[in-house]
Amino acid sequence: MLDHILSILIFFPLLAAMLGFVVNKDSIRAYGITVTTVEFILSLWLWYAYDSSVSGMQFMENIELIPAFGIAYILGIDGISLFIIVLSTFITMIGIASLTDTKRVKNMIITLLVLEMTMVGVFASLDAILFYVFWELSLVPMLYIIGAWGGPLRIYASVKFFLYTFAGSLVMLVGMLFMAYFYYQATGEWSFSLLEWYRLILPESFQYWLFAAFFVGFAIKVPMFPFHTWLPYAHGQAPTIGSVILAAVLLKMGTYAFVRFSLPLFPDAAVFFMMPIAIIAVIMIIYTAMVAYAQEDIKQVVAYSSVSHMGVIILGTFALNVEGISGSVFLMIAHGVVSGALFLLVGVIYDRRHTKLMSEFGGLASVMPRYATIFGIMMMASVGLPLTINFVGEFLSLLGFYQQSHMITLLAGVAIIVGAIYMLSSYKKAFFGEVTKEENKNLPDVNKRELVALIPLVIITIWLGVYPKPILEPINNSVESIVQLMHDKAVTPEAKSAIPNLIKDDKLSSNMEAH
Amino acid sequence: MEMLLYIALFSPLVGSLFAALFTAQKKTLIAGVVPSALLFTSFVASTLLLIQVLQGNTINVELMTWMATGNLYIPFGFVIDQISVTMMMVVTLVSTIVHIYSIGYMDHDKSFNRFFSWLSAFVFSMMVLVMSDNFAGLFIGWEGVGLCSWALIGFWYHKESATWAANEAFIMNRIADLGMLIGIFLVYWNTGTLQYAEAFAIMPTLDNSTLTMIGIFLFIGAMGKSAQFPLHTWLADAMEGPTPVSALIHAATMVTAGVYLIVRSNELYDLIPNVGLFIASLGAFVAMFAASMALVNRDMKRIIAYSTLSQLGYMFAAAGLGAYWVALFHLVAHAFFKALLFLGAGNVMHAMSDELDPFKMGGLRKVMKGTFIMMTLASVALAGLFPLAGFFSKDLILEAAFAEHHFIIYSVLLFTAGLTAFYSFRLVALIFHGEERYKIFGIHPHEAYKFMLVAMSPLAILAVIAGSLKMTYFEMVTNLLPATEYHIHSHTTYWIMTIGTQLFVGLAIAFAYKKYIGKVKEDKEFEKRFCYKVLFNQYYIPHFYDEYIVKPYRELSYIFWKQIDLKIVDATVDFIGTSLYKTGEVTRGVQNGNLSTMLKWMVAGLAVLLVLAAMFTLVATNADFLLSVYHDLGA
Amino acid sequence: MEITLTHYLVLSTILFSIGLVGIMRRKNLLMLFFATEILLNAVNVGLAAISHYYNDLTGQLFAFFIIAIAASEIAVGLGLLIVWYKRTGSIDLDTLTSMKG
Repeated sequence: MLDHILSILIFFPLLAAMLGFVVNKDSIRAYGITVTTVEFILSLWLWYAYDSSVSGMQFMENIELIPAFGIAYILGIDGISLFIIVLSTFITMIGIASLTDTKRVKNMIITLLVLEMTMVGVFASLDAILFYVFWELSLVPMLYIIGAWGGPLRIYASVKFFLYTFAGSLVMLVGMLFMAYFYYQATGEWSFSLLEWYRLILPESFQYWLFAAFFVGFAIKVPMFPFHTWLPYAHGQAPTIGSVILAAVLLKMGTYAFVRFSLPLFPDAAVFFMMPIAIIAVIMIIYTAMVAYAQEDIKQVVAYSSVSHMGVIILGTFALNVEGISGSVFLMIAHGVVSGALFLLVGVIYDRRHTKLMSEFGGLASVMPRYATIFGIMMMASVGLPLTINFVGEFLSLLGFYQQSHMITLLAGVAIIVGAIYMLSSYKKAFFGEVTKEENKNLPDVNKRELVALIPLVIITIWLGVYPKPILEPINNSVESIVQLMHDKAVTPEAKSAIPNLIKDDKLSSNMEAH
Repeated sequence: MEMLLYIALFSPLVGSLFAALFTAQKKTLIAGVVPSALLFTSFVASTLLLIQVLQGNTINVELMTWMATGNLYIPFGFVIDQISVTMMMVVTLVSTIVHIYSIGYMDHDKSFNRFFSWLSAFVFSMMVLVMSDNFAGLFIGWEGVGLCSWALIGFWYHKESATWAANEAFIMNRIADLGMLIGIFLVYWNTGTLQYAEAFAIMPTLDNSTLTMIGIFLFIGAMGKSAQFPLHTWLADAMEGPTPVSALIHAATMVTAGVYLIVRSNELYDLIPNVGLFIASLGAFVAMFAASMALVNRDMKRIIAYSTLSQLGYMFAAAGLGAYWVALFHLVAHAFFKALLFLGAGNVMHAMSDELDPFKMGGLRKVMKGTFIMMTLASVALAGLFPLAGFFSKDLILEAAFAEHHFIIYSVLLFTAGLTAFYSFRLVALIFHGEERYKIFGIHPHEAYKFMLVAMSPLAILAVIAGSLKMTYFEMVTNLLPATEYHIHSHTTYWIMTIGTQLFVGLAIAFAYKKYIGKVKEDKEFEKRFCYKVLFNQYYIPHFYDEYIVKPYRELSYIFWKQIDLKIVDATVDFIGTSLYKTGEVTRGVQNGNLSTMLKWMVAGLAVLLVLAAMFTLVATNADFLLSVYHDLGA
Repeated sequence: MEITLTHYLVLSTILFSIGLVGIMRRKNLLMLFFATEILLNAVNVGLAAISHYYNDLTGQLFAFFIIAIAASEIAVGLGLLIVWYKRTGSIDLDTLTSMKG
């Protein structure tokens, strides 16, 4: 069973989703919780079985689909994808468990299960076409969730979300086809296998163009400034569960793809584009944080804060050293947990008041003390307080990039200031002060169902903040192999020097090669 | 011994978590008593550790790994050496006293339990800050105390001013924390480690500009936490919090973390005397700057807050001049008498139903004898009169400045000593002497609970006798810190200086008493003067920040959102979408389903194709000729 | 005057142009079929002439094919036309717009 665990992880939710159509409407929630729990336990088993001392791919599966074009069904995970898969199954489980009463609950749960399949699929695929298929498939359930359960502007938001990301990924597809073509020219064989592609050393000029093509697809997904405007609409209109999954997992596809594709395939281009991307990241961090500060709707604050945090992740990724990339991968997990929790928390108050405007609240700390406490913890995690999960990622990402540039890191570090500004002022508006609105005086505090979702997130936030080792160590090992691969593959001397060589003995020889 | 360390460190955490269990419930005394008892345990453990350290044993333990990736390795490591044990003693002693005091002070507050939870959490963070053996651990405590300070300043969260002050404090500290973080990055990338011992061992091999950068960025971090100019405004506003909080956090412990950092990094700052000189100058400036604001303020707690700021300036002046042990000694002495002063002020506030304007008090010594004695003692100590604590510690700073030949710093500090004496006794005179002005307001003052006064008494005793511990302390810390003794070359100069200082301070006290002890008349004429207005409005700095930083930031945020994000970035995207859509709208006219029209389009297409074919044929047949023309043009 | 290839081709072009104008201008479906026939036959003339010029029978073969296909096309077309006329009572092109986009 362990040999095919990845396939099981991918197709079990799909199978369950199909069976879901025949399940009775009253028991569909229990069915959904059961399925996602089983899936989560399977992913935990995957983690348990994962050998963290090995840096390469594990649990590989390889079935040829179209041999003539080298398209195959290749799965495999390393330390980077492992935890994002666990995060996806975990967030889906939490999301379904905390699902509030909605109309057409059956459709919702089936959609979520299909979404879960696509998420696991994206992170487990090692074949470009397979990856692309899951990547695009993931849009469909999300489109449906926003379009069917969203707010008043849901059609606009969902169409924008779909077309924007879809347009970006088409450019990425062209890039993939070109990459395969180059591979064909170099070897005489077609292949879309990522591990085969890793072995190919491309000339710089090809790298620049291919990097740019992939970049468009990934950057829109992340979303990077100035491609971020679909996100506030999507979050603003999506139901709570949609926002949670969108922020926690779907955005990570973009950053994950940077680590999986852009860095190891095009190391020289990564070095070449490092500074422009870092500048975009800095703009993302500061600009969106300021936009977040100006928001009146608390969900939009969290939405824009996501963009700001994604900036830090991008910066860490393009630090191109072990500290930075490990930090950014860790921050992906951390941001998944924290932003997921924040969106759940916003959902809690939205269920009670059916508004998300902060001016409608005020003084909630005395009405809903437990809610205020949990929100406070998550807010502080989002601000990046040490001993919370976010700090580890942010610290390492910024630390990593400091090796590349002093000024940019200084500017990016402003994140910790502007982050505090918008978060604290929102918290103050919603929770502090006197209770002024009559409706707010008798709001019930968080109930059991909400606590079931929130408490695990709080525990993870603090546990991994204090003791990040169980996750950081496997990530570190896999990142080390990527960095070493990049160093070995780099063509230009600038890239050789910008990407550290981890094998110390080879320093001399590789330097000689570079000259 | 390791056990003692962990007891000292984790008792406050246990206390905090214990109290946190009760936060959702009604006030229970146990939520205050247990954390206090646990803190006392921590204090006892620290004392035992002090004894060990006095015998020359220092320990360094590693609890577990925190972060490890690439070459980075950060453990939760703790060190007990002469510096940290000194800080631990101060922190645990003052916080134990403040906890016990708070049981009385917060008696009537409905959030009693929450208060103790946060207060103990603060102590834990402070212990992490001083005990860590690496910069990352220091940063944990550094941010932790910031968090607790935020929660405690904004403790009465229904008050707009309190939550505003809390956010201001947190955000201003964050600005400095960025500097600190950059300092940490610099240390890591230049030394490859964040452990104090290893990093400081490598530092002498680094070049001067790198060291200067490290020194400056770490000092920026220290400036925020210790509220040095220009990041000082939060400290006065932080007085919105409950008074025990002001005593513990904003006088005795947290604000001195910056000084601790400089003292801890003495090996670094010894290598860069220029930065040291800058720190000393800034410290001297802040000392006078803050004292001047305290002269005219009409808020009891703010006056004490400014005096804290001023004393922190003294500490930085000493640390900057390389007299680290002197700075640390003043830190310790200051913690005792300033906490005492604040707790006394808390008693007065309670007595006066939270009135803070000393001009509305007066003559309180009759009803509040104990508080009167203790606050006077604390003020004498603060003013630096022989033989109280302040005399020994502050005089040493003056001597150090003189002996190092920094006469400008010396004279500024000397002048400030006079100002200190003046405003301290202005406050004492206004509160405890003179006519009983409070009667107009119908307030019936009463003395605080007995046990609160008893709890304060150790501080009072220490404020008196701390000076006598100087030699023991000196011998202990100079194991670690440079043991420079500051001797003025000739004995005559020394005596003239000491006695002169004492006389100057004495005169200032006398002047304050003379001015404020009798009938206090509102000096309208004086209040209209420019210098009064400047001082009363804190040099218009808060106003400046509000007008030129906070407001533009808010406005810029709105512009970014409404103008740039919605009207430029998003509008561009929508424009692309709508233009595609519009193109479709326009061209759908072609598909009108009329066969005749379609045939016409077909013919038009045919014609275009024919023309193109003809053109290509022409070009292809005349290619050589065209190429030669093209080349001629190029040449 | 000898009749050369050019004359045939000119004739073919003229016929083609007439047919082209016919399909563009005529609104009657029946007239449209006539115009189409003229177009096809214009091509047939050209094909036959060139075939004779090169002494290659392929062109004439093509012309026969075209005649055959044109005949069947007309048969189907006229059939549809009659059905259409029975339904709508008109064979005017402008009434045929149910495929409007």
